[in-house]
Amino acid sequence: MALERQFPERSVPERHVPLGELRDLEEQTPVGEIFLGALMRRQLVLSLRVALTLVVALGAQPLVAWLWPEYGTLRVFSIPLPWLVLGVGSYPLMIALGLYYVRHAETIDDEFSELLEP
Amino acid sequence: MTSLAAVFGLLAMLVATVAVGVFARRFARTTSDFLVAARSVRPAANAAAISGEYLSAASFLGIAGLVMKFGYDVLWYPVGYAAGYLVLLIFIAGPLRRFGAYTIPDFAEGRFNSPRFRRLAVVLVLVVGLFYALPQMKAAGITVASAAGVPYATGVAATAVVVVTIVVAGGMRGVTLVQAMQFAVKLFAITVPVFVLLIQFGTPGGLFAGLAGRETASAPQATVVHAAPGDEWQVTEAIAVHLDNPTPVRLLPGARAPAVYVGAPQPPPPAGAGTEVTLGVDGTLPVGRVRWEQAADVRLPAGQPVPYGAQTPPSTTSSWLKPFGPLAGGSGQPLLFTYSLIVAILCGTMGLPHILVRFYTNPDARAARRTAWLVLVLVGLFYLWPPLYGVIGRLRAPQLYTGDLTDSVVLLLPRQVGPHVVGDALAAITAAGAFAAFAATLSGLLISLAGALGHDIYGRWLRPGASGPERSRAFRASALVAGLAAALLGLLVENFDINVLVGWAFAIAASSFFPLLVLGIWWRGLTTAGAALGAAVGGIAATLAILTTMLAAASPGLTDALVRHPALAVVLAQPAIVTIPLAFAVMVGTSLARPRAPAGVAAKMVQLHIPDRLGLRRDYIPE
Repeated sequence: MALERQFPERSVPERHVPLGELRDLEEQTPVGEIFLGALMRRQLVLSLRVALTLVVALGAQPLVAWLWPEYGTLRVFSIPLPWLVLGVGSYPLMIALGLYYVRHAETIDDEFSELLEP
Repeated sequence: MTSLAAVFGLLAMLVATVAVGVFARRFARTTSDFLVAARSVRPAANAAAISGEYLSAASFLGIAGLVMKFGYDVLWYPVGYAAGYLVLLIFIAGPLRRFGAYTIPDFAEGRFNSPRFRRLAVVLVLVVGLFYALPQMKAAGITVASAAGVPYATGVAATAVVVVTIVVAGGMRGVTLVQAMQFAVKLFAITVPVFVLLIQFGTPGGLFAGLAGRETASAPQATVVHAAPGDEWQVTEAIAVHLDNPTPVRLLPGARAPAVYVGAPQPPPPAGAGTEVTLGVDGTLPVGRVRWEQAADVRLPAGQPVPYGAQTPPSTTSSWLKPFGPLAGGSGQPLLFTYSLIVAILCGTMGLPHILVRFYTNPDARAARRTAWLVLVLVGLFYLWPPLYGVIGRLRAPQLYTGDLTDSVVLLLPRQVGPHVVGDALAAITAAGAFAAFAATLSGLLISLAGALGHDIYGRWLRPGASGPERSRAFRASALVAGLAAALLGLLVENFDINVLVGWAFAIAASSFFPLLVLGIWWRGLTTAGAALGAAVGGIAATLAILTTMLAAASPGLTDALVRHPALAVVLAQPAIVTIPLAFAVMVGTSLARPRAPAGVAAKMVQLHIPDRLGLRRDYIPE
């Protein structure tokens, strides 16, 4: 399937003896805490960025319809524009946002792993 | 109303479910926990299975029905159901998979080291699960009833027996193949009939153009509608009808019938017995409320505005097409209502009891994220289509308004396609799709509910020392109890819209589990007391608000009070916009006031967030 090509499987290396910063993480030393905090912050900022885009894209629609009632009467090929925007346009937008998130979340995870792996 | 083809569709789907279940079980790898299928399911198959379980009767039947009833505003439901998955993906999919808890109670106990918190979570799971089972039962009732021509209660009972049997026999136990097949069936069953309908009745543009030319819903050809004794119709324009025999009707005072739910309670109709008249064979229904005193088959003429049933608010096409139409607009506070609905659905998805379980079939967090994204693609592909049934329904089958049958539009519309063979085949297909929808979700729910009842309430509270076979028997008994409870409650909700009930389950989940999961994963300062108090306050507040609204349907005094305060009525009917911030505030406030982070919180955060590659992961559940 095309999707498998898009997301090539990656094997998970087995590790049993953590070294260096990795041990800091596992044993929750102050250094490990700093690394963990930085990782969580990067991931959370990414999640919030995607969430904000979603909330603005969806949440603006009732507001537009409220402030500008003509929005409800616009048509494209006889189909009311609000129906197209919400009922059709939302899905590609959400799929694109999801893809953006998955790619960037994996990049953050990978960069973090590479930083710690000896 | 009986349709042999539809009955055939139902039975074929039942046989296919059992057959694939038996076949798949031979090959399914077993794990320690019967709740979870083999861990190493590939993302594509897994995503299809998750979508198969997620696309419930609310998606398959309810969206189309509610769009037909209320128009544009209802599009928020399918968009919200898909967006809820995006929210789940970006906030919890990866970390929760790393943490390795199967259920929300597992997470509550594992993250906060608190068996007492686990009990609270179990109770909330039971509340959300039962609420979510109600609309599935309603869908089952109307599907079986419309296919086999039996009463609604018979349909509910038959479905309860079948689904409980399947669950108790273990036929669908976490088997990926069954659920993946059911996704395929649902996608096929929603798209194929809609394409045939479009070929028969015109392009989407043509349909909307046709609607724009008809301000009132009027039947394209003469149709016969059955009126049962006691049925109440709202007649918006006097209409000439043809009856087989002269029939007594009662003309009730007031213009508006008691709508159970139009976003918020409606003013009760004026009291008074009305006057009884006898309609001749070719009589005229006058404008106003008409109650049938005897059963009658009423022939409605072509091209005339149809009467509306008691549970269907009359709507003009122009308001139906626009934002803030009869649903949001009918609430009196359109903007507040719309935003509260959006928030509930967006945040509620992750709190449904049967959704998270399937995520542990992913080998790691990376696969969990990819799976969640694929689910988003698959459900997005599905949700494009149901609203079209609602549009075609208003144009081609408005007599469904008269019988309060909009929730059945996906089942009944295909029968209008000619020639008969084609219509029958399509009716069989949509009946099979509806079966796949409510059977998949109901069995997933029953497994989750029985797990909570059997594993937690019996296995941990009542009989902590119970043996394996005893636990297994308890699980089966719990499935029976949960099925019975769902069926009994299901009998009470015939007059509620499927999606309105679903929206309530989402609101309760969003007000309790959403803040718990998001703060529990992303904020190490969350204390056990804060999390438990916040989830309890949010969940209880949302449940009480919704119960008040449900009771208002039966209590004129309460309805009257709510009508005088529309903003309060909207908040009670759609509480998420208040109860979610409330739950967050209680969680954060309590945690800050008495900052006592649970022991080992740093280790929990490592488990939740450190990439799998580094090999630090240990599943919380050791089994």
